[in-house]
Amino acid sequence: MLKAVTGRILSSLLVIVGSSALVFVIMYLLPGDPVASMIDISSASPETIANLRHQLGIDRPFLLQLADYFGKLLRGDFGQSVLNSEPVLPKIAKHFPATLALAAASAAVSVIVGVILGVLSAIHRNKPIDLIARIVGLLGISMPAFWTGILLLLIFSIRLGWFPAMGSDGWRTLVLPALTLGLIGAGFIVRMVRNSMLEVIGDAFVVTLRAKGLSERAVMYRHALRNALIPAVTMIGVLAGEMLAGTVVIETVFSRQGIGRIIADAIMAKDLPVVQGVILFSSLVYVVVNLLVDLSYAVIDPRVRRSA
Amino acid sequence: MRQSTAAEAVLQRRKWELPAYRGRARRIRPADLFVYAAGALILIIAICAAFPQWIAPYSPTDMMMDAIMQGPSAAHPFGTDYYGRDILSLVVYGSRDSLYIGFMSVLVGGLAGGAIGTLSGYVGGALDAVLMRIVDVLMTIPGILLALAIAAAMGPGMGNIVLAVAAASVPGYARVMRGQTISIKNRPFVTASRAIGATPFAIFWKHVLPNSLSPLLVMATLGIGTAILTGSGLSFLGLGVLKEIPDWGALLSQGRGYLTVAWWICTYPGLAITLLVLAVNIVGDWLRDRLDPKRKEA
Amino acid sequence: MYSNHRSFKWTSALLAVTLTLALALAACGNNNNNGGQAASGDASPSAGSPAASQVDGSPSAAAQGGELTYALATSPDTLDPQRSGLAVAVRVIRTLYDNLVVKLPDNTVKPWLATEWTESEDGLSYTFKLRQDVKFQDGTPFNAEAVKFNYDRILDPNTKAANASALLKPYKSAEVIDEYTVKLNLETPSRAFLGNLSQALLGLVSPTAAKKYGDQFGKNPVGTGPFKFVKWEENAEITVERNPDYNWAPEIVDNKGAPYLDRLTFKIAPEEATRIGSVQSGQVLAAETVPPQNIVSFKSNPDFQVLQANTIGLPYTLFINQEHAPWGETKARQALQYGIDVGAIVKTLYLGTYDQAWSALTPGVLGYDASLENSVQPDADKANALLDEIGWKKGADGIREKDGKKLTLRYVDGSPNREKRNDIAAIIQQQLKKIGIDTEVVITKDILTEVYTNSNYDLYGNSQVNGDPNALSAFYHTAPKGALGNLSKVSDPELDQWLEQGALEKDDAKRAELYKKVQQRIKDEAIILPIYVFPYTVAASKSVQGLKFDLLGYPLFNDVSLAK
Repeated sequence: MLKAVTGRILSSLLVIVGSSALVFVIMYLLPGDPVASMIDISSASPETIANLRHQLGIDRPFLLQLADYFGKLLRGDFGQSVLNSEPVLPKIAKHFPATLALAAASAAVSVIVGVILGVLSAIHRNKPIDLIARIVGLLGISMPAFWTGILLLLIFSIRLGWFPAMGSDGWRTLVLPALTLGLIGAGFIVRMVRNSMLEVIGDAFVVTLRAKGLSERAVMYRHALRNALIPAVTMIGVLAGEMLAGTVVIETVFSRQGIGRIIADAIMAKDLPVVQGVILFSSLVYVVVNLLVDLSYAVIDPRVRRSA
Repeated sequence: MRQSTAAEAVLQRRKWELPAYRGRARRIRPADLFVYAAGALILIIAICAAFPQWIAPYSPTDMMMDAIMQGPSAAHPFGTDYYGRDILSLVVYGSRDSLYIGFMSVLVGGLAGGAIGTLSGYVGGALDAVLMRIVDVLMTIPGILLALAIAAAMGPGMGNIVLAVAAASVPGYARVMRGQTISIKNRPFVTASRAIGATPFAIFWKHVLPNSLSPLLVMATLGIGTAILTGSGLSFLGLGVLKEIPDWGALLSQGRGYLTVAWWICTYPGLAITLLVLAVNIVGDWLRDRLDPKRKEA
Repeated sequence: MYSNHRSFKWTSALLAVTLTLALALAACGNNNNNGGQAASGDASPSAGSPAASQVDGSPSAAAQGGELTYALATSPDTLDPQRSGLAVAVRVIRTLYDNLVVKLPDNTVKPWLATEWTESEDGLSYTFKLRQDVKFQDGTPFNAEAVKFNYDRILDPNTKAANASALLKPYKSAEVIDEYTVKLNLETPSRAFLGNLSQALLGLVSPTAAKKYGDQFGKNPVGTGPFKFVKWEENAEITVERNPDYNWAPEIVDNKGAPYLDRLTFKIAPEEATRIGSVQSGQVLAAETVPPQNIVSFKSNPDFQVLQANTIGLPYTLFINQEHAPWGETKARQALQYGIDVGAIVKTLYLGTYDQAWSALTPGVLGYDASLENSVQPDADKANALLDEIGWKKGADGIREKDGKKLTLRYVDGSPNREKRNDIAAIIQQQLKKIGIDTEVVITKDILTEVYTNSNYDLYGNSQVNGDPNALSAFYHTAPKGALGNLSKVSDPELDQWLEQGALEKDDAKRAELYKKVQQRIKDEAIILPIYVFPYTVAASKSVQGLKFDLLGYPLFNDVSLAK
C-alpha cells in the first residue's frame, strides 16, 4: 500500500514536470506578443516595442528561455507576470481560495443533486420519475455552461433579485455560479449512480439479501446505494479537472475572482510565467485530488484495498 | 492497476470486462421512445445540414436592415437578429458547422487517441510507459485550457477549432483503448491465434478492434456532445471563428448580449445546441446499454 | 409500464418549461426593476444630464458621504500611470493623480498643479511655477524636484513606460530652478507638448512611493489626486477613498476641495449581461460601456439615467492599405467609399446611439472640418462604374476579375469584439459582395503580427483618443525610412508638409486651417473610411449626481454625490 502510494507520488511528479514543459512549448509557439496587451500598439514605434520585448526577456532564444524557466523553478521562483511584474506564486495563492470555494460548492451541488436523481432514477427505473431525473441530469451536460449561467443570472439576480449578479465575497455570490457548474457534474453523476445501482441491484449478493427477507428499502439504501457511491466518488476525481475548466467560463460570467480567469486572461495576453504557474499549480491539485480519491477507495471498497 | 489510476480501473472493469453481447428479448419499452425521438431529432438536424436550401426560408446572409431584431412572426418564425437576418435560416444553415465540429473532432481525437492507446497496450513495456506518461500529462491540463491554448496558438479557423477540441479528447480515448487492448490480448483465443502465426496487424484487425468497438462507439457518441459544447465555450471566450454563416455556438455567443432586449436571437441557437447534445447523449446512453452485456435491465 | 400517451406528456412538459423560460426572459426586457431598491424615485430633476447637474455651482447643495460603485468592462493592467497603456486603467488613474495642467473642452490649457508657465522664444523649453500647498497622499511634498523625478522616470527604460513616453516626446530634461519652479527642455519645438501634459498617463506619482515600491508601484499607487488608493482585488474590485486634504482641483470641475463621496469602488465585470444586470438590480450604482441595445431600454426607464461623452481624437477609421493592388488606385478606394453604406451600418448596429464619423478627426479636436459632414453619400452605381473604369469586370459568380485575378479584400479585425467592430466587418462583407468584391474577414487576437509586423491586410480599423490634431501625423505622415509605414501606407509630400507645419504653428487659427487641408485631402483621395465616433456611455441610478467627463471622455468623480 505504502509502496504503491510512493510510486504514485513519484510518477505524479514526473507528470507535473512534463505538463509544465509542454505548456512552455505551447505558449512559446503561440503567436502574438505580451507587448500587444501592454501598450497601444498603434501609436508605439517599432523601437518602443523592441525595447519592451528586450526588457521582458522575450527576445531571447527558446532554449535559453526554457532553461532559465526551469532553473528558476528549481529555486522555487515561479517568476513574475510580464504584464505588471506581479510575482506569480502570491498571485495564485491570492486567487485560489475563491476558486476552491466555487469548486467545493459545485462539487457539493453535483454530488447531492446527482446522487438523489440517480437513486430516484434507479429505484423507479423506466417510470416517469426515471425519465425526468435522467432528462434533468442530461440537461446539465447538454447546455453550454455560459448560457446556463446567463439564464440563471437573468432570472434569479436581475428579475427576482435573490442573489447578486457578481462578486466573490460571501456565500450569496456563490449560489448561482455553483449551481451552474454543479449541474454539469450532476449530469455525469446521475448517469453513474443510476447505472451502478442497476448493476448492484442485479448482483448476486443483493438477490441473496432480498431472499433473506430484507426489506426493499433496506436493500436499496444500506447496500445498493453504498456500492453505487464508488463511481460517484471516482467522478469527483475526474471532475476536478472539469471543475477547473468550468471556472474559466463561470468566473467570467459572474465576474468572480479566481484562477480560472487568471489563466484565461494570461493565455490571451501571452503572459507566459502566469500561464506556467497556474498550469503547474492546477496539475498539482489534479494529481493530489486523484490520489485522495484513489486512497478513499480503499476505505469505501474493501476489494480495492486487498488488490492494492 | 500499475499504470492507470485505481479509480479508472474500477470503472473500466465495471463497464467493459465481460465478453460479447448476448441477444435480448425484443420489445418496445417506453424508454425506447426517447431514443426514437432523439434519433429522429438527429436525423432532422442531419437533413438540415445536408440540404439547408430546402428548409431555410431565406438566405442566411441576407441582411434585411429595415427589419432588425423582430420577434418571432409568421414571416420569421424564429425572428430576426441585429443585422436583420432570419434566425430560422441561420439555425438551419448553422447546423452544418456545428455537426462538422462535433463529428470531425471526435473522428480526429478518436483516431489519434485510439491509435496511441492500442499501440501502448499492445506493445507494452517502455513504449507503453512513455506514451501513458504523455497521456497523463495531457490529462492534467483541463480540456478547455488545452483547447484554449491551441486555438489561441493556431489562430481562428474551423480546422483549428476541430484540432483544439480533438486534442483535448485524446487522453480519454487512449486510456480506454489501452485498457481494452490489454484485456483482450491475453485472452486464450488471441494467444491461440498468435501461436498459429497471425501477424500483429491481423490480430488487431480480427480480435482487438471488433472487441473494442463498442466502448469506442459509446465514447465517440458522447464525445460529439462534448465537442460541440467545447466549441461553443471557445466562441464565448472570443476564440471562435467569424464566418458568413456562423455555427450555433457562435450564434449563441454573439447573441447573448441581446438576451434582455431580443431573447429570440440567442435562445433558438441555444435550444438547438442543447437539443442536439441531449439527443446525442440519449443515443449514447442507449448504445451503452445495448452494447454492454453486463447491464441487465429488467 | 406506462402508455405512449403518457410519455408524450413528459415531452410536452419539457416544452412548457422551455417556453416559460423564454417568457420569463422576454419579461426581463421590459423589466421595470422591482429589485432596484437603490434607485429612489425622487432624484432631483437636474440629474438627467451631466452638464445640467451642478450648474449652480454651489457645492453645499451636494450630499456628503456615501460609496459609489462603478462597474468597469475590463480590468486595468496597472495603476502606475506612466506604465499603463489601457483606457480602462485611466478611468481609475484619473481619481488618484493630478497633472501640471488641464485641457478644457474648448481646447484651452489651464493651470492645475502648475499656476502659470512661460514658453521660451525658440519653443524649446517651458518654465512652470508650481502650487505650493500640494502634498502627495503619503505626505511627500509636491515640488519642482518631484516634477523632474516624474518626467525623468518616464524616460528611464527601467520604468517600462510605454504610452507615457510617446506622450512626453520631445521632452529632453528638467531643471529645478527653485523649490517651486521647474524648467522642462525639449529636443524640438512641439505644439502638442503642453496639452499632452494634461493627459492622465502623464499624471504625477509620489517619488517616495515610486522608489519604495519599484516594479510594484502599480499595485501601491500614490498620487496627489482627489482619491486615495485603498485596495485592489484583482479581477474583482478596486477601492479608493476620499483624500480629505485635497484642495487643488482644476477648472474642469466645480468642487475644488475634497470629493463628496467617502468611497469609490470600481467593480470589474467583463461580461456585458452581468455588468448591465448589476445596475438594473441595484447591485452597483453605475456601469460603463453600455451596449447600444441596452442604452435604449435604460433611457426609457425613469429609475435610471444614461450619461454619454463622445471621445475625441481619431474616430474609428478603416485604413485602406495602398501597398496592396488595386487599392493603390484612387478610383478603387473611391469605389469602397461609395460602395460601403456607413450610415446604414452605424444606424443598424448602434441603434442611433453612436454618431457617424465623416473625417479623419472627430468633432471637438482643434481644426475639425465640419464641412465634410454628409459629403459622401453611398452610391452603388458609382462604385460599380469606378471599378468597371479601371478594368475590374464582373465574372459569372458576380465577383469582379481582371487579368484572371479575382477582386478580393482582406479585412483584418481584432478580437474580442470591441464596440461591435467585428459586426461592422460582417456587414461590409455583404455590402461589398453587391459591388463584386469578395471580402475575407479575418478576426485575430494577434493584431501586432498580422497588421503591424506583416502588413497582411487590405482593410484594418483603428481609433485613437487624443486631444491634439497632431495625432494625425502618426497615421498620415510618410513613415521614416526603414519603418513599416503608416496604416494606409500613404506618402503624400503635401500632406507631410501640412502636418509638419501643423506641429509647429503657434497661431491656432492658422493651425486649424492646415489640419482642415489635411482632412480634405484624406477624404478626396479616399485614403480612409471614417466609421463612428465612440461615445463613452455610463448607465447609472438616478441617485448618482454630478458625474462629469473630461475632454477625452474619461469620467471625473470630484463633483459626484449620492442623493439620499
